[in-house]
Amino acid sequence: MAIKREKRTTRARHTDAHGRETDRKVIIRMYNVGFGDAFLLQIPDGGGYRRILFDCGSIEAAQGMKIKEVVDRIIRDVTDADGSARIDVVVATHRHKDHVSGFGDPSWDDVIVQEVWMPWTEHPTDAEARRIRDTQSRLALNLQAALSLRGPALGEREQRYQDLVSNSLMLSNDRAMRTLHSGFSGAPRRRFLPADEDGKRSFETDALPGLKVHILGPSRSPEVIRDMDPPKGKSFLRFHEGSPTVTFIPQPPFSNDFRLPVPSSATLRPDDMDKIGGAGLFSDLAVAVALDKAVNGTSLMIILEIAGIYLLFPGDAQWGTWNEALGDPEWRELLGRISFYKIGHHGSHNATPRDFVEKMIPDGISAMASTLTRQIWPDIPRAQLLAGLVARKANVARSDQESSVGKTFTAEEGVIETHIPL
Amino acid sequence: MENGIAQPARRPLKIFASDPLQGRTVGNRARIDVLNESLSPGPVGARVEVIDFDGVQKCFYLPVMLDDPPILMQGGLEPSESDPRFHQQMVYAVAMKTLENFDRALGRVLRLGSRDRPRQATYPRLRLFPHAFYGANAFYDPKLNAILFGYFKAEAEDVGANLPGQTVFTCLSHDVIAHEMTHAIVDRLRPLFLEPTNGDVLAFHEGFADIIALFQHFSFQDIVREQIQRTRLDLRAPTSLIQLAQQFGYATGSGRALRSALDDPTLKLQGTFEPHDRGSILVAAVFDGFFKTYQRRIGDLVRIATGGTGTLPAGDLHPDLVNRIATEASRTAQRVLDMCIRAFDYMPPVDVTFGDFLRAMVTADYELNAEDDLNLRGAMIEAFRFRGIYPDGVRSLAEESLLWENVEKTLPPLSKDVLTLLQGVFFGALRSFDIGWQDPTYETSPELKQQSVSFDEGEEIEIDVNEDLAEHLHAYATANAGALGLDSDAKIQVRGFHTVFRVAPNGRLLVELVTQFTQVDHTVKDELGGLPFRGGCTLVASSNGVFRYLISKPMRKASGDLARSTAGDSRFSRQKDYLHLCDMRNALFPYFTSDEAGTRMLELMNFANLHEG
Repeated sequence: MAIKREKRTTRARHTDAHGRETDRKVIIRMYNVGFGDAFLLQIPDGGGYRRILFDCGSIEAAQGMKIKEVVDRIIRDVTDADGSARIDVVVATHRHKDHVSGFGDPSWDDVIVQEVWMPWTEHPTDAEARRIRDTQSRLALNLQAALSLRGPALGEREQRYQDLVSNSLMLSNDRAMRTLHSGFSGAPRRRFLPADEDGKRSFETDALPGLKVHILGPSRSPEVIRDMDPPKGKSFLRFHEGSPTVTFIPQPPFSNDFRLPVPSSATLRPDDMDKIGGAGLFSDLAVAVALDKAVNGTSLMIILEIAGIYLLFPGDAQWGTWNEALGDPEWRELLGRISFYKIGHHGSHNATPRDFVEKMIPDGISAMASTLTRQIWPDIPRAQLLAGLVARKANVARSDQESSVGKTFTAEEGVIETHIPL
Repeated sequence: MENGIAQPARRPLKIFASDPLQGRTVGNRARIDVLNESLSPGPVGARVEVIDFDGVQKCFYLPVMLDDPPILMQGGLEPSESDPRFHQQMVYAVAMKTLENFDRALGRVLRLGSRDRPRQATYPRLRLFPHAFYGANAFYDPKLNAILFGYFKAEAEDVGANLPGQTVFTCLSHDVIAHEMTHAIVDRLRPLFLEPTNGDVLAFHEGFADIIALFQHFSFQDIVREQIQRTRLDLRAPTSLIQLAQQFGYATGSGRALRSALDDPTLKLQGTFEPHDRGSILVAAVFDGFFKTYQRRIGDLVRIATGGTGTLPAGDLHPDLVNRIATEASRTAQRVLDMCIRAFDYMPPVDVTFGDFLRAMVTADYELNAEDDLNLRGAMIEAFRFRGIYPDGVRSLAEESLLWENVEKTLPPLSKDVLTLLQGVFFGALRSFDIGWQDPTYETSPELKQQSVSFDEGEEIEIDVNEDLAEHLHAYATANAGALGLDSDAKIQVRGFHTVFRVAPNGRLLVELVTQFTQVDHTVKDELGGLPFRGGCTLVASSNGVFRYLISKPMRKASGDLARSTAGDSRFSRQKDYLHLCDMRNALFPYFTSDEAGTRMLELMNFANLHEG
């Protein structure tokens, strides 16, 4: 702490190109990726800035703005006067396509990165991490196969969740995940957070001097891990067995000697028989959503502490991680001090607890939602959540509503920016 | 009587004491006996029927005929995983055993038939489908009036003593059968406990089902003896005695039994929401109360056996000592089981909490046995307190303050007319205990059968009560709405009326009349995710018609005392908070259509969804 204070006083003010004293501030840029996330932070450091990129992905591009264009734009924004693109820390909150698909682009190969942060579930050798990844990707693949067997004509119901399934398909994210795990220039250090070795949930790094990083999740507690495990349910098992047909009939459990045909004058009503036959099936939507939730459950939830200013990036963290953070006095304290909130999971209802909005955040914070109203998911973003933030005098910007941002934001085509004074 | 030979009262049957996982270990093949009733192939009895229809293979399996002489001669089929007829036998036997535990403790014979009016389906018996579907699940379905058991293949890794990929039958697990059977019975006793109005309701359903399954373990004397020898009297050691659904747990790859009777240190009441997990805290509390009582009860035996040192000698314990201690363990377990089941007559009709269960248990036991010679109540109260389970609105956890509100002086007794009507009810109830009823050939004469009446007061209610009596009770509730926490402007539903006969340890016969009233407000469904707001009360009276206890869940607009309507308001906001919590935890929520969102809480009223592993 002592060291940090000293640093802060020596760099309290600096001057701009015209020699005027300016207020030091963190610049947060939200790129309009459509349905997905891409946030660039610039944090003053001496005369220049340190840069952090939170996610870069999309499952449905905004009008006239392909993810490739967003990638090019980010790289342009981080290119220094010497022509090199530099990002100090790249954070991939979780491996959903709408958070990482942009990293599949080859232009990242030349971007110089110091550190890449991922949740501990991405650790290449950790046994529990591998188990979780395997379970999730097996389910995703089987569901995808089952969906494709149903043919190209998907009904309205299927439309609702086919995106959820493809969002979780690890294979189609493969190129992006390779960039994150072994790509970029400058041989970045990979951190899998929270790091298990020392049990500490907060750390500092040379890549970001003067900054403290708090990892609120994902922890390894059973409740949180349960969020990452799709239910061991009926349909899940059916898909799990690697027989991804929707009409899969298991081996008869008994020898044929015991089998009686269904008698014509059955003791069972036909509608009873149908109901019993369907008893083993989860709705496909439920399985797809369980998968979606499982991957979201691996989401990193981070508070960046810069000179007494707290910025919250919860990724798409779900109930388990939030509940744990809200139950921890230390984290509650920090959550009560934030001045910026990246609205979780594109503004959906269950990624931002009501108590957090109504009782914990200070009045007048800045909040950004990267979101897109899609016909198939009309409840994302959740109107009541955004209204609840406004009721707490928060300044809220939506990536899909550039023209109507408040005066604490500046908007240009495809980007909304806000400044958090230090 | 046939050929001058009396029908035996009991029918012996063989089962796996826990599940096939323990197949090769001693004592796992238990013999239990159940009431001897005449059975058709299935088995189909008077109150339950086993129907072996496989919904995946679309076929029936050969039904067992338990009255066949070869089967009778060997006391039931030998345990076998490959013969579906043994499966049918085991499901029947454990289901009947569970049912008998309820019958005996409640002092009345429960009916298990039901009707699904919209589909015009009448089910005179509870139906058990041992191989209904493919999946790692088993559940009670109220609409089908059935328990559906699934079968599935064990996961590839960490399957314990299972073979990887072997077929696991949930219907061969004593715990799964007893658990699901308890759901079905609880649903009969308190149908509105399916509505998740606060975080304890579904957790109570789950925890209570586990409690019944767990304490039934202690009725298997051979196993109790063996485990007492093995664990050197410490019943808390992790043995099959205190673990639930071992095979299921291992087969689904969790690397352990599904649940156990002991506290999971990672689960605290505050912050545990998943119904099975939250329920397991209730199980741990009850088991703790049991264990403390058991220890106290065997203290003298241990002192005698150890010359007063209390230190057990090395090596095997003397079989006589083990026998005596096993008997104490089983007796204490049976007392706990009875105490838990008897609590039901003292439970509110809606919106139950763990704290209500504690109060109901304490009051019911106090009425029967005020002395608490074993200090069982004291041990239970302490165990609940230790786990942070406090009832709402009691001043302390002293026994007197846990007793339900005494209304002897505040509520008028039942009228003379009602007492006259009751004579018939008493007579009918007595006949149901008569040995004649237990004779399989005996048919209850129609005029003695309690009538089942449907009231249409906004919704379908079916109760076992004579129509005249129901009208009198309704009039009573209307006249005393304020004192009962009811809203005098809203309709009152008579939810149930029955007599209870119990024999105290000192031989005294205790007769009680239990009445339930409810009210419903459908106008707030949109605020509550599709559920209505309900209130009501349970009233317990002595046989002379004097009401002793009121267990009230007041309405928001409860007439009379302001404290009641305030309690109604706080129940309403608790229900809203719980809805919010469910929404936060429900990953489906953002993807609902508005129709689905409007009825989302009704989806939770489904054991198939609840039991996802």
